[in-house]
Amino acid sequence: MVDRRVLQNFDWVLLGLTATLVLLGLGNLVSATHGAASGDLSPEVRRQLLALGLGSLGLLAAFAFDYRRIERWALPIYFACCLLLASTLVLAPVTRGNRAWLVFGPLRLQPSELAKIGLVLALAWTFHRHPASDIRRLRELWRPALVVALPVGLIVLQKDMGVALLTLLVGATYLPFVRVPLRAWIGVAGAAALAVAGLWSFALADYQRQRILDFLDPGRDPLASGYQAIQSKIAIGSGGLLGKGYLAGTQTQLRFLPTQHTDFVFSVLAEEWGFVGSAVVLGLYLTLLLWGLVVASRARDGFGTMLAVGIVGCFLWPALINIAMVLGLAPVIGVTFPLFSYGGSSLIASLVGIGLLLNVSMRRYMF
Amino acid sequence: MRERVGAGREPGGEGRLWLLGFLIFAVFAVFLGRLAQLQLVEGAELRTRSERNSIRTVRLDAPRGQILDREGRVLASTRPAFDLELVPSEVRGSDLTYRALGQLLETDAAPIRERVERRRGRERFQPLLVKADLPYESLARIETHRYALPGVVTEIRPRREYVEGDLAAHLLGTLGEIRADQLEKPGFEGYRSGEIVGQTGLEAVLEPTLRGTAGGRNVIVDVAGREVERLDEVAPVPGRDVVLSIDMDLQRAAWDAFREDHPEDPNDVGRLGALVALDPRSGDVLAMLSRPSFDPNSFAGGVDPKTWRALLQDPHKPLQNRNIQGQYPPGSTYKIFLAAAGLETGLVTPSTRVFCPGSFWYGNRSFRCWKKEGHGSVDLHTSLVRSCDVYYYALGVRLGVDRIASFAKAFNLGRITGIDLPDEKPGLIPTSEWKQRRFGVPWYPGETVSISIGQGYDLTTPLQLAVSYAALANGGTIYEPRVILRRRGADGEIEEVPPVEKGRLPVRPENLAVIRKALEGVVEQPGGTGSKARVPGVAVAGKTGTAQVVRLEKFQGVKESKIPLEYRDHAWFVSYAPAENPEIVVAVLSEHGGHGGSAAAPLAQKVLARYFEKRGVVAPAKAQAPVPVPVEEEEDPVIEDVPADGGSDPEPGAATPSDAPPGADAVREASDGSGPHG
Repeated sequence: MVDRRVLQNFDWVLLGLTATLVLLGLGNLVSATHGAASGDLSPEVRRQLLALGLGSLGLLAAFAFDYRRIERWALPIYFACCLLLASTLVLAPVTRGNRAWLVFGPLRLQPSELAKIGLVLALAWTFHRHPASDIRRLRELWRPALVVALPVGLIVLQKDMGVALLTLLVGATYLPFVRVPLRAWIGVAGAAALAVAGLWSFALADYQRQRILDFLDPGRDPLASGYQAIQSKIAIGSGGLLGKGYLAGTQTQLRFLPTQHTDFVFSVLAEEWGFVGSAVVLGLYLTLLLWGLVVASRARDGFGTMLAVGIVGCFLWPALINIAMVLGLAPVIGVTFPLFSYGGSSLIASLVGIGLLLNVSMRRYMF
Repeated sequence: MRERVGAGREPGGEGRLWLLGFLIFAVFAVFLGRLAQLQLVEGAELRTRSERNSIRTVRLDAPRGQILDREGRVLASTRPAFDLELVPSEVRGSDLTYRALGQLLETDAAPIRERVERRRGRERFQPLLVKADLPYESLARIETHRYALPGVVTEIRPRREYVEGDLAAHLLGTLGEIRADQLEKPGFEGYRSGEIVGQTGLEAVLEPTLRGTAGGRNVIVDVAGREVERLDEVAPVPGRDVVLSIDMDLQRAAWDAFREDHPEDPNDVGRLGALVALDPRSGDVLAMLSRPSFDPNSFAGGVDPKTWRALLQDPHKPLQNRNIQGQYPPGSTYKIFLAAAGLETGLVTPSTRVFCPGSFWYGNRSFRCWKKEGHGSVDLHTSLVRSCDVYYYALGVRLGVDRIASFAKAFNLGRITGIDLPDEKPGLIPTSEWKQRRFGVPWYPGETVSISIGQGYDLTTPLQLAVSYAALANGGTIYEPRVILRRRGADGEIEEVPPVEKGRLPVRPENLAVIRKALEGVVEQPGGTGSKARVPGVAVAGKTGTAQVVRLEKFQGVKESKIPLEYRDHAWFVSYAPAENPEIVVAVLSEHGGHGGSAAAPLAQKVLARYFEKRGVVAPAKAQAPVPVPVEEEEDPVIEDVPADGGSDPEPGAATPSDAPPGADAVREASDGSGPHG
């Protein structure tokens, strides 16, 4: 379990970075859900605090056991996650057009968030046995591809395209480590183009196409679907250098920002804290991601490295897409900003991921 | 054991990690650059946009000034009304919103939706009026559900209220949305499109006084348009009050007179026509009624197109103020102008007699007196009392058209009276020069015969006749009718509007006295045509008139009540009282009413009686009922070519003693020894 030597190597930097970001995220969420009248915390913040409690337990659990023991459980955990995903297709009610949520009384669970952890564990397990550096042909990617395809397929069946894309991208985090020659990738790119065209014509719902078109031309109809992007831009820009002050963002407090406690939570931050505040948060986030890569590089074994890379991927892609969307650099798709956006499942999964990173980091000298 | 750790890692894996790290770093650098672009470069501009997003300037309309009658009673005031508006840009979940709105307002929401969704661009941020002046129940329902209806806004706005409804509609006038062409005109600087302004009547004339100055309020609104906080406010300055010369009691008496025998049946327009009462000593307009009327309240927030179309297409022209816009042949009321001209030019004296055989030969035509058996030998006095046409045919021919015209014009006919109301019509007094210019043909002497009894080209408005009779009554001063008594000026001081003298009659007092004596005889003397205007205790003077309406051949000689309304004659009665020292002039036109003595005089009598009852001269109650006296009905003068032997005229449908009410009048008749036909 956790002995004295392990604690000596405890990664305080990683925990400190995480705690700082979680607290900043909470404070920002308070502002984003701040009601004009009530002085109390909003129900969203209270749920988020509950999730923080549960997530902290998850974090403890994730680093308490040596990750090599967890490696043995990687596949069972992976399949359990997939089973949970599959169950949504039967059990989950349709909310906002998709079946992503399992409802247990007052608790709502989004299995696709947990599935990312399961996916990362399974991929690390695969790459540990069949190192990525040995993969020199596309067809040798069939094992990881299979591992990725199962949960992504299930999420597609939930009709939650944003999360499906994200999960796919988490898998793609490993691609720099395989040795497939360039011309093969050109072939893949061609196939992907075909797939995109096919998706566009057959799979995408009208509103999804609208969102992509809005991204390409936000001035097209500023009040229908480009509304969100424009209000977000106004919120961020109006923050200026130092921001309008905490709880004083007009776009936020007067609710001009759409889905400001989930998808556009970064706009709240940028409006109220300005360039300085958002640059600090971006810097902390970047540090967290790079620190994760440092953990990967220092890991004792291939499983640890690949696990750390996967967890970095779990934070990297949603953050990348969310910030790009909020800044008007990507189309509006429902992707949240880990540790900042409201969402219990996401926070719990994130903290479990951090727990695993701590685990890998802490046990780098163990043998 | 470090070696084992290394062996577990892929060769070159380290390098790939740094590649990944560099890519992440690069993406975040792009983010930082984009943040700098938005917040530092475009920051100021986007800040303005965020302020415009949330700060809205709400206009605070000024309550319009009140309009009061001469005794301070409110005719037009302002009350708060709730308007329902939609801000198109803020409507979310539109299906639900419109369905809910439709249910709450109990109307079909589809047209509202269509109007809202037609808005494009910047217009989508501006509130769109959905329903003005919400009834209280609808307002309560909307307010209860408003949290679920983003974009729905209720505004309190002052709204005009005409306390007396349609009682003085034409005088007070109407409000309406400002027209595009008005916005360009001087006097409308600072007006915005969509604003409600006075469009007709006194509302239009008094617009600068009544309007006031709108205020404004800057508020912070949330995305649903709800007011969150007030920033600053400039209070509106209410419009200034105006006191009219109108006496509501007389106005109501006029109204009741026109509505009598026409119970409250909305489909029955009642009597058509006009009544105007003036104070001859100042020109004050004491009452001004035009029938049919309309409810100006339906215009208060801009009239709805359906009501507007119905009013425009109504054949009875309810929007026309007949007192100033209705031009009718004056009929026999015109005779006093010839009498004045005759006396003044010396062509006749009070004792000049003319024999009336029932018709008058001129050129190769016979012009009939309305009384086909003739009046016999009549002097000037009797010619007015009995309204003998032949006397005036003869006098008119001797005066000639231009001399008649110059005297009529001296009485202010043929031109506007100058009352403070828009679109007054001048009427028409023909001259030989006018005929030449208008038609390119000379004046035919035969036409002089027609105009001598107020037919032919002659056209006057009821107000013109009231003004000219007021001049006769007050000893010769033409006053411009004064409808605004006093108002508060821009500086807050009360301005009295002085009476305006427009001129003096070119008629010597003794000649005016002769005519006045005769007009008293018209009402008070046995056999006078205006006896139905008698008010016990007061000597009333007046002149009846019957204006011929162009009539089809087939109705010649048919009894009046059997002719379709639009072919019946107009009945005039212009009166004043007390005859000796006149305080009030009442002119009545009963459109298609028939004969002046029977159709118009009783209406004037009601107003005169009410006036003297208020003065304490006449006891109220039944005394104000018209004294039932048989009236000699003035017939249309029939102008026709007749064969030399005279031919046989159809029996005129004149009133006979049997038509007159029985009872007291029979006694009076006996004591007077005068029959209805004298």
